[in-house]
Amino acid sequence: MIKLLGILALLFAVCATTAKLNPDFLGVYNIQNVVRWTSLFGIISIGAAFVIITGGIDLSIGSVVGLVGCVMPILLVNKGWPAWLMLLAVMGMALLIGLIHGLLITKMRLQPFVVTLCGLLIYRGIGRWITNDRTIGFGSEFNDNLRLVATGKVHIPGLNGFAMPVPAFILIALVIVSALFLNRTIWGRHLLALGRSEEAARYSGIRTDRLVILAYVICSGMAGIAGILFALDANAVQPASHGSFYELYAIAAAVLGGCSLRGGEGSIIGVVIGAAIMRVLYNSINLLGIPTQLEFAIIGSVILLGVVADEIVRRALRNRAARKRLKRGNE
Amino acid sequence: MNLFRSSLGALLVVGIALGGCKKEDSDQPESTGKEKISLAFVTNGPANFWTIATAGVNAAAKDFDCNTDVRLPNGLVDQNRVLEDLLARNVDGIAVSPIDGENQNGKINEAAGRTHLITHDSDAPGSDRLMYIGMDNYTAGRMCGELVKEAMPDGGEVIIFIGRLEQANAKLRRQGTIDELLGRDFDPTNYDSPNARLEGNGFVILDTRTDDFTQAGSQSQAEDALARYPEIDGMIGLFAYNPPAILNALRGADKLDQVTVIGFDEDEDTLEGIKDGHIFGTIVQNPYMYGYESIRILAALAREDMSVIPEDGFLDIPARKIVKANVDDFHAELRKLMGED
Amino acid sequence: MHEEPLLQIKGIGKQFPGVRALHDVQLSLAEGEVLAVVGENGAGKSTLMKILAGVHSPDRGEIRLGGLAIDLSSVRDAQRLGICLIHQELNLADNLGVGANIFLGREPSGRVGRWLGMVDRRTINERSREVLQRVGLNIEPNTLVHTLPIGQQQLVEIAKAISVESRVLIMDEPTSSLSDRESERLFQVIKALSSQGVSIIYISHRLGEIQHLADRVLVLRDGLNAGELSKDEISRDKIVRMMVGRDVSQFYARTPHEQGDAVLKIENLVTPSFPTEPVNAHVRAGEVVGLAGLVGAGRTELLRTVFGIDRAISGRIRVGAHDISPGDPVHAIHRGLALVPEDRKAQGLLLEMSVRDNISVAALRDHLKFGGWMDRAFESRAANDAIQDLSIRVTSPNQITRLLSGGNQQKVVLGKWLATNPSVLLLDEPTRGVDVGAKHEIYRIIENLAKKGLAILLVSSEMEEIIGICDRVLVMHEGRITGELSREQFAGDLGEEAIMKLATSHQPQATTMPTAIDSP
Repeated sequence: MIKLLGILALLFAVCATTAKLNPDFLGVYNIQNVVRWTSLFGIISIGAAFVIITGGIDLSIGSVVGLVGCVMPILLVNKGWPAWLMLLAVMGMALLIGLIHGLLITKMRLQPFVVTLCGLLIYRGIGRWITNDRTIGFGSEFNDNLRLVATGKVHIPGLNGFAMPVPAFILIALVIVSALFLNRTIWGRHLLALGRSEEAARYSGIRTDRLVILAYVICSGMAGIAGILFALDANAVQPASHGSFYELYAIAAAVLGGCSLRGGEGSIIGVVIGAAIMRVLYNSINLLGIPTQLEFAIIGSVILLGVVADEIVRRALRNRAARKRLKRGNE
Repeated sequence: MNLFRSSLGALLVVGIALGGCKKEDSDQPESTGKEKISLAFVTNGPANFWTIATAGVNAAAKDFDCNTDVRLPNGLVDQNRVLEDLLARNVDGIAVSPIDGENQNGKINEAAGRTHLITHDSDAPGSDRLMYIGMDNYTAGRMCGELVKEAMPDGGEVIIFIGRLEQANAKLRRQGTIDELLGRDFDPTNYDSPNARLEGNGFVILDTRTDDFTQAGSQSQAEDALARYPEIDGMIGLFAYNPPAILNALRGADKLDQVTVIGFDEDEDTLEGIKDGHIFGTIVQNPYMYGYESIRILAALAREDMSVIPEDGFLDIPARKIVKANVDDFHAELRKLMGED
Repeated sequence: MHEEPLLQIKGIGKQFPGVRALHDVQLSLAEGEVLAVVGENGAGKSTLMKILAGVHSPDRGEIRLGGLAIDLSSVRDAQRLGICLIHQELNLADNLGVGANIFLGREPSGRVGRWLGMVDRRTINERSREVLQRVGLNIEPNTLVHTLPIGQQQLVEIAKAISVESRVLIMDEPTSSLSDRESERLFQVIKALSSQGVSIIYISHRLGEIQHLADRVLVLRDGLNAGELSKDEISRDKIVRMMVGRDVSQFYARTPHEQGDAVLKIENLVTPSFPTEPVNAHVRAGEVVGLAGLVGAGRTELLRTVFGIDRAISGRIRVGAHDISPGDPVHAIHRGLALVPEDRKAQGLLLEMSVRDNISVAALRDHLKFGGWMDRAFESRAANDAIQDLSIRVTSPNQITRLLSGGNQQKVVLGKWLATNPSVLLLDEPTRGVDVGAKHEIYRIIENLAKKGLAILLVSSEMEEIIGICDRVLVMHEGRITGELSREQFAGDLGEEAIMKLATSHQPQATTMPTAIDSP
């Protein structure tokens, strides 16, 4: 809870500073954009969080986003599939990718880093190959129907002129489902337990393999959903670069949001706030006219500072607890 | 405790960020009494080419008294995001080099609806952009083809290297080169598949290799091509970094003067290569003028002078052939433009 | 013959956060003397030895060596002064050769080689051969350590210690994983070293060994000296009384159990660790069956296989009338099995999670709402019940388990299983690393559970524990059950000897073959 307040404060600080320096930050148009980007990146970050909670890692998220983006226009425009069938096929592909990762990691006992690193390369390569490495897009045919899933906005009465981007609703739905799953169902509890100690979880009668597989399926599934939205939003996909590095943004958001790469720790809300911090930072770099070249350096510094601050607090609390116990022991 | 420290961290970073942009005081609109117009120049990625264009942007900023911001996005999604952020800032005009003009029409129209928007370097045909500043790439491609013919009067086997094929400018540039080599008529609507082997007029075009805008990728493509076609006669590099990458590959294969190299753009290594005789010649665009003219026109538009827009919506910045005879003069001019002398 | 003490310790105390490990301990050791140090787990033996080896520094007290006060602030200091600790878990780099291990960290190099970081192999080999000879090992110095049997590795460790001219050797349960013959050889080496003037502090649970080797016994209890016995005073009763500090029969509070039908039946079970040894055993309701044997005898592996952590190669496990699917702990739990594993911290507990989460984690599956939602009310109830019934000392059920003492942690593990309402409880070293008070409580809990009719199978390396609380003992050796002893057979004076004999012999004793499993 304290942690959640901490990153919320960080988000607030970044927002307030940006707004102070450039009031345009609070413009309706800008807020809508930031919310939309946060939603898209928030979705992949939730996926990443599930895997990180098990103590694993998924480096293939960006490539899954890329591959989904490459496949969509091919099925929809070139092959003329109906939208629902295309979406079904794309989601099926994403979930299958997650299943393969999970099986390789649990049944073959391969390291998640290696499996998903290979995934990163493989899906990127397939995407570039099936598209001949040419940028492909949806044209203008879908502007007023399918693409509204990503680009549409819903007016919220009473919020003068503010219209909520549709992806935000998708994110909210996914946050609710994920948070309930993680905190209220037995599978969520078991997931947290196995992240703490896979061995102890197994000795407590938890089917650890199934849960690890499930986590990777969820992660790739989220990447699939986000991949659909990213592609529809951009309307065009560059096979070689679409989605590249997104896994790192997702992992960074998850870590910023309180996940430990050691596993067993994480809150869904925190992860989404983490994703929001990253997007607001990107936004403010542009709004404040900070040179593009500094972009990565600033984002990296903020994440590092957040993690360092967290560690300092953690140590302070631990020392305090130890001192208390020592005092009790002496009495 | 956590809350306190996290906020402290946030303030620190924002402080650093502010320190970083302090020197550009003009970025803060409040700082001048009369609002200065602010314009943005968006490229299609980070590259040396855009350093020269930035020099033009800066010169025009001085001449026409406006604030300018050069943005170098990473790919298409990032370019869309940069456009949005600039719109949120309410800039008075944007000049953009769209990565995929056709499919980005939506985003470009969104921008054109909120500010003055022109394209440069690469066009977005069919969009609401006010005009396009650039070179006729098909013509430039044909000029490149002419250079190849001059260098290889007896024809031979050649291969083409190019960053990406999605961009209109790249497609046209390549097509112009191919059509000239094969002796076809002037027709910018031609299109040959990148993997096709093309023959005619004494030339064989073996292949077109793309490298997605990375110099390292380009060099390894060139190395692979040398390994695959050891008897190759000519190599044509159509993006700025391609000729230096080809030179590196040739140097590594010890084939420097056995293969004729024709380049594009004015990379320092390309010009040195021409001076040394390793490269026959290059076709130069004029990125400096892209930058300068973009800002000149946007500044005028922001001041509600619509007369700067040409009738056909196209401002041609013609290409030039640079060969050994004129490379020294050109190089001196370039250094002057970049303020290096 | 030992007039002047070589090593003298006066009034040593050591406090850890929350635990006072050593209160006030005295010890003296003469040159060439073999001193056995015994005590319950948590009595302070290992802390004392770690202080001597320079791993911990004492809060107070004085250590004198050869009459001079010394300061042991690092392992290196201790080694330089000639004090060397041989850990129970061997500290060898088993991918390297014997010689390389003996000289690890102080490799000799020639005059030129020193500048290049080169190792002088010839010197290593020559000098290794000498020390190996002294411990009676005739192996080449370049033999890879992992190819040696465990007993020889132990001797390599000793060779390493004497190669630095150690004057005091501390051995922490050196025979716990050795066979009879290997132990015998170790004793010879110890005796030889002692006659060469090396003093030895020998920590062991095995009274036979102590009687055989020690010149003197020092008993520790709760971080204090509980007493000393000279060679001719050594007897089991005296030692145990000193260790426990009260009458033994009272400590292992035990009433006769009313036994029912065989609940757990193991039939021709073959574990992956010993694929040629089918095991047969059974445990009745209300019966506590001990599983004795040396470390590595296959006891832990048997429990793991029964519980399904390891997949049985063949054979049957039955609880009541139901077969247990092999390799499936979830099914085992469902049928009423529970396992308190050997390694509490890694296997028994989710250390970073709360006490409540730990207690409920195994039982939650059977208390779901709407097919997947956790029953939070049940969770709290289970935690509170366990905390009360087992008197687990916590500040709240939300307390992080890592912060509890060993005994309370073990009670959390027990609580976790009791929440699943098991009919069979498998216990693997349940009192390891637990202080005396908690130990007593755990015995009482076991006793109560047996009274309630649970079938309990207990693995323990502490002979006192086995003898104190079991109704029946099975002894294992190299994966095979080599014998079965009834309470009458092992409770007497010769009981321990009988168990040890079975634990070290491969042939099943004809007279004590496990009886066929048929419930009366």
